[in-house]
Amino acid sequence: MLTRPIAWRDGREIGWDEFVRDAAAVVRALPVGSAMIDLCEDRYRFLAAYAAALSLGHGALLPPTRAEEVIREIEAAHAGSYRCDDQLVEAALETSRAAAAVELQIPAEQIATIGFTSGSTGRPQSYPKDWRSVSGSTARNARAIRSALGVADDAVVWLLATVPPQHTYGMEFSVLLPLIAGMAVHAARPLFPADIARALEQLQTPRVLVSTPVHLRALVESPQQFPPVGLIVSATAPLDRELAQAVETKLGGPLLEIFGSTETCAFASRRTARDELWRLHEGVQLESITDGTLVDAAWNRQRILLQDHLELHGAHEFRVHGRNADLIEVAGKRASLADLTRRVLAIDGVRDAVVFQPGEESVATIRRVATLVVAPGLTAAEIHDRLAASVDPAFLPRPLLLVDALPRNELGKLPRAALLAALVNLNFQG
Amino acid sequence: MSAPQSAGERELAELIVTALNLEGVAPAEIDPEAALFKTGLGLDSIDALELALEISKRYGFQLRSDDENNLRIFRSLRSLAAHIERHRTS
Repeated sequence: MLTRPIAWRDGREIGWDEFVRDAAAVVRALPVGSAMIDLCEDRYRFLAAYAAALSLGHGALLPPTRAEEVIREIEAAHAGSYRCDDQLVEAALETSRAAAAVELQIPAEQIATIGFTSGSTGRPQSYPKDWRSVSGSTARNARAIRSALGVADDAVVWLLATVPPQHTYGMEFSVLLPLIAGMAVHAARPLFPADIARALEQLQTPRVLVSTPVHLRALVESPQQFPPVGLIVSATAPLDRELAQAVETKLGGPLLEIFGSTETCAFASRRTARDELWRLHEGVQLESITDGTLVDAAWNRQRILLQDHLELHGAHEFRVHGRNADLIEVAGKRASLADLTRRVLAIDGVRDAVVFQPGEESVATIRRVATLVVAPGLTAAEIHDRLAASVDPAFLPRPLLLVDALPRNELGKLPRAALLAALVNLNFQG
Repeated sequence: MSAPQSAGERELAELIVTALNLEGVAPAEIDPEAALFKTGLGLDSIDALELALEISKRYGFQLRSDDENNLRIFRSLRSLAAHIERHRTS
């Protein structure tokens, strides 16, 4: 009997039997340790490495960016962590013909993923999730996708993702769905519209495009034509109704927008082209409190506080009244303004600095952060280069402007209006 | 002193600065042989996406990232301009 497919790579389907042998080959090549930093860019190699880690009882640390300094910080904070990259996995796969399969019976309490967000101090805070938690949320995500496609609970669904596997959204929708929910994924991460069209053509139906507003906007504006897509999934930044409708028209399938966070995983979805209210995944309850919203999911040990204000409508639906303004997300990557500010301040010679978002949170536009820096003796280019060592390029400030002093008020705070005024004045001078 | 830009490179430099809102960058001052991504201008994959869109509108062809030569094409203003010159349809 043929095993179910789990991936498409190098022009062919890879089945579950081959996959668990590949994972076993990776196991033999791994260094000693207790938690994996999976840096593989090829999604199939990422999957094989992750399965290898899980079979050994290791969870995956998910660095918010690939910047070397950030990865070193995570290594320093997690004894027993080790890196696994494309080269290591590729070398291991060449030996996999002789390997036995890995055993993937993961205990419910085993740590599966460790994601990171920035706490109120701006320092990364880790969020471990156990296998029970990721299995529970993945089962609901799978149900939402299959129900939107109108296919049976055990139907093979083919996924193509434009987001990296290393972040929460990519992990949930391009790694865990193939691993535990009977779906299969294209190993590539296409960027340009022409690449996305070609990768989609390689997949059987039903096929699902897992993407973000930034990528989807480029698809809509591109002259490229696409093969019909059964479903489009979008997350990481708000998507407006007009863009959602344009995506549905261009790609020929419904668009399902996902609501979630690093802390909670995905827990709600909506058909943005048609609906305003978000629908909670089955088994999730919300409670509004002063600081935000408590999310109670059947598969989590405890309730999780989100600093977003969500207004309940009945027991299963909600409306969003403002997300945590500190978090910024671009194309499946996330950063915190407090953390970015801390990294600018850490540069030798910087006396004061602020990183902020100059534009209103506009939908699906490319949001760049701006920064004002007080650093006599440094040039903007020097600060930019230092920052590039620890900050993902998507979050490098643009513009980065040197000032004599920040526009602090008498309380020492930085009113938004004053920051915007400073930015406008400096741009006129420049 | 940076190398002089050709007419095609100047046109592309202007498109890059306008499309990506690179405040404070003068198109004429982009060194045609300096890196566009990471170092140099410091562009990233989102910029590449935006740029690909503008190039398809202006020059009538689609960039692909799975081209064997991808790294070489995006290395500098000069290499990208040369790639456009070979593939443009408008």
